Amino acid sequence: MFPEGGLVRGRTVLCSGDAAVAMALRVVSRATQAGSWLGIVGVHNIGVQAASEHGVALQRVVFVQPASSRTEWVSTVAAVADGFDVLMLEVPRGITEADARRVQTRIQARRNALVLIGTTQQSAVQSVFQPDVIMNTATTRWHGIERGAGYVQGRDVQVAVSGRRVPQARQHSLHFVG
Amino acid sequence: MSTESTRVAVVACPDWQAVAAQCDLHARGQVFDAVAVLHAQRVIARTAAAAEQGVQVGMRKREAQATCPNMHIAAHNPERDRLMFEPVVHAIAELVPLVEVSMPGVVVLATRGPSRYVGGDDALAQRLTAITETALHKLAQGQRIPFGVGIADGRLTALIAARSAASVGAPRVIAPNESAQCLAVLPVSVLADFAEVDRNVVSLLQRLGLAHLGNIAEIQPSILVGRFGPVGNEMQRLARGLDRHPPIVVAPPPERASTYRFETPVEDVNVVVLTARETAHELVVHLGNHGASCVRLHISLHTDHGEQNDRVWYQPEGLTAAAMAERVRWQLDAWIASRGVTSGVVLFRLSPIGLRAKEGRQLGLWGDSTEADEWAARAIERLTAMLGAESVRVPEWRGGRDPAEVFALTSAAVVDVERRALSHVTTDVRWNGALPTPSPSVVYDDPLPVLVCDAGGEDVTVSGRHELSAEPTVVILQQHHYNVLSWAGPWPVEEKWWDISRQRRMVRMQLVVSRNDTATTTRALVVVREHGQWWVVARYG
Repeated sequence: MFPEGGLVRGRTVLCSGDAAVAMALRVVSRATQAGSWLGIVGVHNIGVQAASEHGVALQRVVFVQPASSRTEWVSTVAAVADGFDVLMLEVPRGITEADARRVQTRIQARRNALVLIGTTQQSAVQSVFQPDVIMNTATTRWHGIERGAGYVQGRDVQVAVSGRRVPQARQHSLHFVG
Repeated sequence: MSTESTRVAVVACPDWQAVAAQCDLHARGQVFDAVAVLHAQRVIARTAAAAEQGVQVGMRKREAQATCPNMHIAAHNPERDRLMFEPVVHAIAELVPLVEVSMPGVVVLATRGPSRYVGGDDALAQRLTAITETALHKLAQGQRIPFGVGIADGRLTALIAARSAASVGAPRVIAPNESAQCLAVLPVSVLADFAEVDRNVVSLLQRLGLAHLGNIAEIQPSILVGRFGPVGNEMQRLARGLDRHPPIVVAPPPERASTYRFETPVEDVNVVVLTARETAHELVVHLGNHGASCVRLHISLHTDHGEQNDRVWYQPEGLTAAAMAERVRWQLDAWIASRGVTSGVVLFRLSPIGLRAKEGRQLGLWGDSTEADEWAARAIERLTAMLGAESVRVPEWRGGRDPAEVFALTSAAVVDVERRALSHVTTDVRWNGALPTPSPSVVYDDPLPVLVCDAGGEDVTVSGRHELSAEPTVVILQQHHYNVLSWAGPWPVEEKWWDISRQRRMVRMQLVVSRNDTATTTRALVVVREHGQWWVVARYG
């Protein structure tokens, strides 16, 4: 699905839509299994059990809660980029293009991979960060659950891949467990 | 010679990781005779039933499954091993206040005082056997767990004696000054099995024709050092029945014990642990300035009511400040769990009682700590200084039925992250009554209040027999209306009904909903009803 076959150092990936968190967890899982550390900055309410089910190696995951102010957020992300290979961020409101550029310069210099989760204000994040790859997800079908019977066993997700590094925008259908 | 090594008793439960996994499963109502614990796709421990069917330590997963198809395979979980072993340590600590737990499954204690108290080494061995048997019996709910008690000069001999006692079923006491003779006839492979000497080194010894420890003991240390480096000297000491590292010969650094006294009793574990980390940092720097690192640490905790808890912790590579703070947390958690604490902590003391010369750590090529782990550890330290310990956290498995309870986040400053990176945090054990997999990827810390209504707009209620009053049709969440497309449940959840202050009674449901105006996007929610109110606790995001 990735134009280069996987997560690439120095690049920015944005996961958006209604399966954004699950998609982001899938994107980073292979890297953490291979020994990379994952810093999760400011992502609220992430399901740790789900992360483990998506294959994220939890022994190399650190949750960081940045201070609320904008300048602090940028310096926190910079400090996280110093120590961790993969960063997963939820971008707070009010981040300007200048802030985004500072973060991305840092990411490129230190050869990290940046995964953004855009759930609420996706278009704003998209214009500020101009991600290399955008994965917009939409759940089309839930499996296993009926009217009063069964339980959620999985889902079909449509992923629209676009972005600066993607020559042709494409649609993919995926089956997610979770 | 005997003056150099202390006389110790060892209580050892072989294959503790597998036994712990088995007891843990048993406590959840899943009974398996054959259990194996896997780490990095290899068996690291298995229960006696699995061993009888031919499962060996070091086997690959598929091979082990083929050998014993009805075996349960559990993931390696050091936290579980430690928690399950705690009752045994606690029982032994009733007799001997100061015990050392170097790894789960093995308790080491100095025999000088206790032996005099109970009347000799043999009597002590009997007492330890009785105590351990009672504790294990309670833990395994009637099943027999193999264990052994050994007393000898030096740790290695005592450990080997304990392991042989485990297979015989009676304690084994090796008389003073007889350790060396006892070891001399043993094959060199025990160095790899019990003393963490590299298997390649042991294999080389065998190829050099040094089959027994006696052969090594006869060689001059200088020759072994010339051939093997520092390990040569260590092996020679071990073969002669001495402790691995010679007692440090430089003068001990002044003010070795670090004591911290709180002005008011502290009841918050985190406060104690974080203060301990600062104190430990000073201690580590202080020792480092004198060229030493601490391999054995005595932690003493005191409460306002005069209760005291002492424990010794051992790590052959040396304890870092974070590792020391982690040990304080383990000790305090265990103490609280055993209900030995009735008031806040007023004082703790960290005394390094075993030191070794500090040497740089060699990074391994495979499967060992990597540079990435070291970088991450440094970044964690820096972020903790920037944002405070509560803002930088790592997940730890706790277990539970509620999706928010399964993992807890602990402050990363008090976790030895580099060691942790080599283990597995996650576990495949699921509690009965937990949400079925897949788990929701968004779990709210603060559940959102929600209205679940039937076709007539009335609140959907659940009867005492867990029956819905009507089919759920509409959900109102944050002033948006959603249509219910499908639902599952209600599943009753009743927890801790024996404890009035902590009991919970609720029902859980899964709902698939779509927005009224945009029917194309659907979302799946987990809702609970507790105290007559519906809450969204999680979402499949």
